[in-house]
Amino acid sequence: MHGFAVFLAKEMREIVRTWRIWVLPLILVFIGLTSPIIAELTPQLLSSLSTGPEMEGVVIQLPDPVTRDAYLQFTKNASQIVIIAVIISVAGMISAEKRSGTAVLVLTKPVSRTGLVVAKILSNWVLLLGATALGALLCVGVTVVIFDTELLVEFATAAGLWYVLAAMFVAFMAVFSVLVGSQGGAAGAGVALYLVLSVLTGWGPMRDYSPAGLLSAGDRIIVGESVALLWPVVTAVAATVVAIALAAWLFERQEL
Amino acid sequence: MTTAIELDGLTKVYGDKRALDGATLSVPAGSVYGFLGPNGAGKTTTLRILTGLARPSSGTAKVFGKDAVRASTAVRADIGFLPDVPGYYHWMNAQEFLRFAGRLYGVAGRVLDERVASLLDLAGLTGVPTKIGGYSRGMKQRLGVAQALISAPRLLMLDEPTSALDPMGRKDVLDMISALSGHTTVFFSTHILSDVERVCDTVAILHEGRVVREAPMSELKHSGAATRVLVEIADRPDQVAAGLAQEPWSTECTVTGRSITCGIDDLEAARRSIPRVVAGLDASLVRMEELEPTLEDVFVELVGGDA
Repeated sequence: MHGFAVFLAKEMREIVRTWRIWVLPLILVFIGLTSPIIAELTPQLLSSLSTGPEMEGVVIQLPDPVTRDAYLQFTKNASQIVIIAVIISVAGMISAEKRSGTAVLVLTKPVSRTGLVVAKILSNWVLLLGATALGALLCVGVTVVIFDTELLVEFATAAGLWYVLAAMFVAFMAVFSVLVGSQGGAAGAGVALYLVLSVLTGWGPMRDYSPAGLLSAGDRIIVGESVALLWPVVTAVAATVVAIALAAWLFERQEL
Repeated sequence: MTTAIELDGLTKVYGDKRALDGATLSVPAGSVYGFLGPNGAGKTTTLRILTGLARPSSGTAKVFGKDAVRASTAVRADIGFLPDVPGYYHWMNAQEFLRFAGRLYGVAGRVLDERVASLLDLAGLTGVPTKIGGYSRGMKQRLGVAQALISAPRLLMLDEPTSALDPMGRKDVLDMISALSGHTTVFFSTHILSDVERVCDTVAILHEGRVVREAPMSELKHSGAATRVLVEIADRPDQVAAGLAQEPWSTECTVTGRSITCGIDDLEAARRSIPRVVAGLDASLVRMEELEPTLEDVFVELVGGDA
């Protein structure tokens, strides 16, 4: 058990001392800051397009931006750009250790392979949680300044659901990173999984009873739809547990 | 005597290739044991099985009586291991890496502080602030030996620790291994014969996945291979060499200055006839010495042209 704790501590220090501390937090900070501003400026930008002579006679009518638009901008970015960024940034979590030879040096000491896999996933979850909280709080702060304090509970719920989805992707990336030797190959498998879920989220039964529902749940909550969350959350948590167990089982059987 | 490593019929098959083919050996505790073989003989595969990185197809591998597959975690707590190309976290420096490695074994507090300080000293890395990513190959290899020693292991396993080093780097690593003699069992795989001759007291020769010879170094050098004799004369070495080469016991003779080295296949016959041949050519015999076979002689005889 001490081997697991020591390896987890190493993972956390590695996050702080390498590029990993910058990528996801910066992306989430960026969309947290810009989503409300883009929501506020989009109607003005589109209106300005109708001022030229070539647009004479064209009338663009847009409703005034509201709080909902700011939070929707954030959730849409999070469920597309940020999920892809998560997939790419964690794609090498196991394969990079194998390729660089550090896995051999660590696993010939009294450290279990399951412990290594779980520590990798846990550390990425912590990083993701911090980055998500930071990005969401900045989004709320800027939104409150530009708009008002409405929809805070809805946005917090949407951010929480997004985190459950992203955490599931991290667990599946551990499986792909064990199975596929290259970071690019594992990232490709992760993007393929994302595309499958994106298609399934448009199909009612899968949206209501599988993790695919989490891809659109945040948007639907923010626009005021009644959303059945139980099964998407339960199945996402179950899939996460299965993915962790599968990654550990596969890694235990691999020869290094 | 306690046995540190025991292999019994160890076999590892990859597809249609047998990397190990029933390897059997026994490493006495406290020895510096050279595991010698040409490239591809199965040395690294053996070490990977012993350290839990791979599983055997059949046979058993035990470390201090514990099965290396079924009790892998317990076995790994007893060993320190240096792979042929050690991989490091390049954002750490040597001190950080040693502390990390020590904690993985549960070493902590003052004991860890003292070991880190003494091993940095042993590796010649005290006060080096550079991150490991900036180290030379020799520095990384010395750090590799140091991290393998952080738990004060009962058994140190080194896979080709000197193969990619320059002469100074090799000397440093061999000095570190020599310093362990007597208090830690060292299992040391290599294809460099001179390294084995310098630091090992017991040797096994692995060839095509099988242990073809296992013996104390002194015994190995006294057995098996062809013996040679050195004849030093005062004058006419070429004529004497030609005379000796015609004797029935002589396999080949070479001349270096006034010294003639002859390979022999009948030592008694050589002892009787060399003085007679020298006297018959009216030359003066200065010295005659029976040369022990080198490890290279034994190795070449056992593994043939594959080395």
